[in-house]
Amino acid sequence: MAALTRRLRLPSSPIENSVEARAFVFSAFAVAVLAIVLYGQDYVLPVLGIAGAAAGHVISYRERDRKRGFWRQVFLAVLVFGALFYLIADSSLALFGGVLPQANFAVLLVAITSFDLKTRRNCYSSLWISLAIVYLAAVYAWDYEFGLLLALWALCLGGFWASSHLRRMNLQMRFPARAIAVAGVAALIAGVALFVATPQPSGVPISPLIVSLPNFTSFRGDIESAALPLVQLTGDPSGANGSVDLHFRGRLGDTPVMYVRTGAPAYWRGLAFDRYADGAWTASIHGYREMQPYVPPRFLPPAPKDNLGTFVQTFRVLRPMPAVINAAYPIESLYAPVAALREDAYGTFHTPDQLRPGQTYSVVSYVPNLTQAVLQAEPPLDPAFLDLYPGHAALYTDAGRLSPRARTVAVHVAGSNSSEYDRVMALTGYLQHNFRYTLDLPRVPTGVDPVDWFLFDVKTGYCEQFATALALMLRSLDIPARLVTGYATGDYDAVLNQAVVRERDAHAWVEVWFPNHGWVPVDPTPGVSPLAATTFPSHWAAGGLARLLPHLTIGAPAAGLGSLGALAVVPAAVAVGLAVVLAYAWVRRRRWHSGAKAQPGESELLRLYERLQRRLGRRRAPPETPLEYQKTMPSALLEEVTRAVNEGAYAGRWPDPARLRKLALRVPAKSRRRL
Amino acid sequence: MAGAVVLWIVLEWYGATSEVSWLFLLASWVFALLAVCALYAVWNRGLTLQLSMRNSRPAAGSPAEDLPEHVLRRGPYPAPIFEGDALELAVGLDTKGGARGPAWIAGEVAGSKLSSGTGVVPRQGWRHLEVLPDLLRGPVGATGWRISTSDPIGFFYRRKRWPDGEVAVVLPRFASLAGLRQSRQLEASVAAPRAGSGNQVFGIREYRAGDSLRRIHWRSSARHGELVVREYEPPGLQTLGIFIDSSPPSREVADQVARIAASETWDCIRDGGRVVLWAPGMKASEPPQGRDIWALLEWLARYPGAAADDPAPAVSEAVMVSGSADQRLIDAVETARRRGARVRAWVVGETEVVVDAPVERTGIEWPL
Repeated sequence: MAALTRRLRLPSSPIENSVEARAFVFSAFAVAVLAIVLYGQDYVLPVLGIAGAAAGHVISYRERDRKRGFWRQVFLAVLVFGALFYLIADSSLALFGGVLPQANFAVLLVAITSFDLKTRRNCYSSLWISLAIVYLAAVYAWDYEFGLLLALWALCLGGFWASSHLRRMNLQMRFPARAIAVAGVAALIAGVALFVATPQPSGVPISPLIVSLPNFTSFRGDIESAALPLVQLTGDPSGANGSVDLHFRGRLGDTPVMYVRTGAPAYWRGLAFDRYADGAWTASIHGYREMQPYVPPRFLPPAPKDNLGTFVQTFRVLRPMPAVINAAYPIESLYAPVAALREDAYGTFHTPDQLRPGQTYSVVSYVPNLTQAVLQAEPPLDPAFLDLYPGHAALYTDAGRLSPRARTVAVHVAGSNSSEYDRVMALTGYLQHNFRYTLDLPRVPTGVDPVDWFLFDVKTGYCEQFATALALMLRSLDIPARLVTGYATGDYDAVLNQAVVRERDAHAWVEVWFPNHGWVPVDPTPGVSPLAATTFPSHWAAGGLARLLPHLTIGAPAAGLGSLGALAVVPAAVAVGLAVVLAYAWVRRRRWHSGAKAQPGESELLRLYERLQRRLGRRRAPPETPLEYQKTMPSALLEEVTRAVNEGAYAGRWPDPARLRKLALRVPAKSRRRL
Repeated sequence: MAGAVVLWIVLEWYGATSEVSWLFLLASWVFALLAVCALYAVWNRGLTLQLSMRNSRPAAGSPAEDLPEHVLRRGPYPAPIFEGDALELAVGLDTKGGARGPAWIAGEVAGSKLSSGTGVVPRQGWRHLEVLPDLLRGPVGATGWRISTSDPIGFFYRRKRWPDGEVAVVLPRFASLAGLRQSRQLEASVAAPRAGSGNQVFGIREYRAGDSLRRIHWRSSARHGELVVREYEPPGLQTLGIFIDSSPPSREVADQVARIAASETWDCIRDGGRVVLWAPGMKASEPPQGRDIWALLEWLARYPGAAADDPAPAVSEAVMVSGSADQRLIDAVETARRRGARVRAWVVGETEVVVDAPVERTGIEWPL
């Protein structure tokens, strides 16, 4: 056994003896834990982890020269497996609440392995695990203050590298303080500048590591949440039979509902509704299929035609929410740390239980090409739609009790447009331009159809009225449409690629069926683009920062310059010339200053000479030489000072301080005669 | 550095696949760290190597312990160092500008590999003390020294070779042989004629205050660029010529030859005489340094030294110290004897040397 442990022992390195290196490793971990505490609202395990890691560092440093004890190694291995069990149980079954299981696992791992920091590799492992914790915190970091924590972690990394380097060279941990401070600040500033100036690439996301376990999960859909006041959910396990009743309206506040880390701003779609009756929308198809927590692309519909790419979203729930996965659609793949997922007939995913604060899930979505040109080229509706929804296809063209007046308006607005796209856009534009958006809407009078009341009486409403009106009017034109609810993008930060979604972002819009593109979201609410964005946002912090500044645009100056034609070169040339002249003047000034340095005694003597002239009552005229001046002003003192000035100016021999003092003492305060 | 580059790439890649902008910021900082380190490494230069002897630690039996104070005062700075003594060597770095660092140095002194370093070289320089024990006779050479600098993290290195140099000269040990010689050759030295009448020019030296203007050697003064005076051998002054074997069979023999010659030199100078050291095919010691024990010891420390073809000097007494039967050496001794000089010989080892003079044989052990 001793031989085996000897063989397994890692080689020692000088770095493990460096207290400074260990201090930086621990500091990096502490920064990572602080980030998790602040941004993950995760407290118990991180605090325990910090205490454990501190003790582990002390013990492992004290015992750095001793052999590893076999039974202690076994004990640590058992603890690591215990942490692994925690990860699996919390990720797959949410046994411990499912709040940041990966981060907690990493914290536990660092704390446990801190008792065994024997080699450089151990130190690096600890450091990289803390980097993983920082990454997990970064996913949920929604403000710029996180940059400070990140900078601290980067400094810890630099400190560890520096102390390792010095230890390897057997040097003391000392540096030129000013140079190191300048270098550190320069690195931080240069890093920020680089971050701002460099476009951020976007790649294919990585699939999570999934452990398949026997699943005995039961789904509960009886959740009602004020966070989603548009939808009243009742007890169907699929959650698909919630309803949107236009007679009621919940209160929408500013409370954040969730944070979304996203590569592109989008609508976070939740439930879809296909049946409208008596002023309320309901879902009529109750089928579902059950899936693992990770839904890979092969289980989902293929990429839409003319797909432009994919983007990742990571959602962090901030308050209790219905068991519905809100995400950008169409979805490519999905991972949620819950026991299982269910996909309803409308493509919406549901979790077994209500989403609790702290829970997270990740979604990868497609960005379909939904430009005007593409949708205009769509063929007329074909029977494929009927095949897709056998038995339910008629639902999507059922305008219910839409009044004849409304149908007439729909026909009138659609006019002679032949393409489906043109008719959809005509109705959307009609609603956007002729109706006013307001949240201060009185209750719908009893016995009045909410759509008619909106279209012909109040002519104001909020998203539900607009979406319902559009959906039903489209249906009256035999264009399949349905209402969907979810959340608007929220407060999107293009620099950090994240959005804060609040209660007031709860939204409803319409999905219209196009033969080649399936369900296409269309938003008739005034003030927003009717079609979803079809381009990725600029993943460039500089562009994002520019957008954050109000009224900052280079469009007008650029257009102004463009209108000048070839003459546009002139302002640019003037600007460059001015810069060159200023730079040249600056260089000259520096040289002049360095070359015109006064010799010792020079300034003092010239000041004395000036003072003497003032006492004599006549200043030397500019064309007068000092000697000529002295001849016209007979004075023994002036003669002596003039000689000293000439010696200094022409021979470079300026008087020493003692001689200057003697001369200065001889200059009287006022009287001219004594000179 | 490869690790940092890999970390940067991983962060960029993970940022690209996860849309977490903070990873790009961290990647930018890692990259900026690399760039700043490169600039720092360029800035971290202008260092000069300093190797100097700080003191000597005399070993048991070292002549340094027995030499009179007035002799030691005129000795090499800061202290003479003899065979077997230990040398306190100050190694360090000076900076031309402000503080620099980290930097480290490595090289060899007297065959010992030394290395040291510091995180910061302050404006006033950085020093580190090394002790080199049991030194052998001869120049203490500093060879293969390199100054290495890097950025604080060790991504970029700069290495600069430093020219080889000499730190100190380890002088041969010596001891007075007067008692030994008196017991063995008493009668032979009683009536030895002393050369020099006091009118013969013995050499030249620099002008000192009080020297007569008549003694100024104007031609030499013009050649040297400073006043030089003729030095006359005072009447009755002994000039001892020590003729040394120029090709000793081994280092040990050479050391012993040098010790015996140094001892003879010490005895002669202490008695008021002057010494000329000569070896066939080598440059002889300078006549003006005939009474300078330190200059002569240095000559012996460097023995066998620079090649030249100086003729054997005219002396009033000649001592041959040899470890081999060098015919040129024997001829020189014979010539001196024919000119009236009293001659004697030391032979180190068992080599058969035929010379018409009293011969003293010895081994390589010291003291005799």
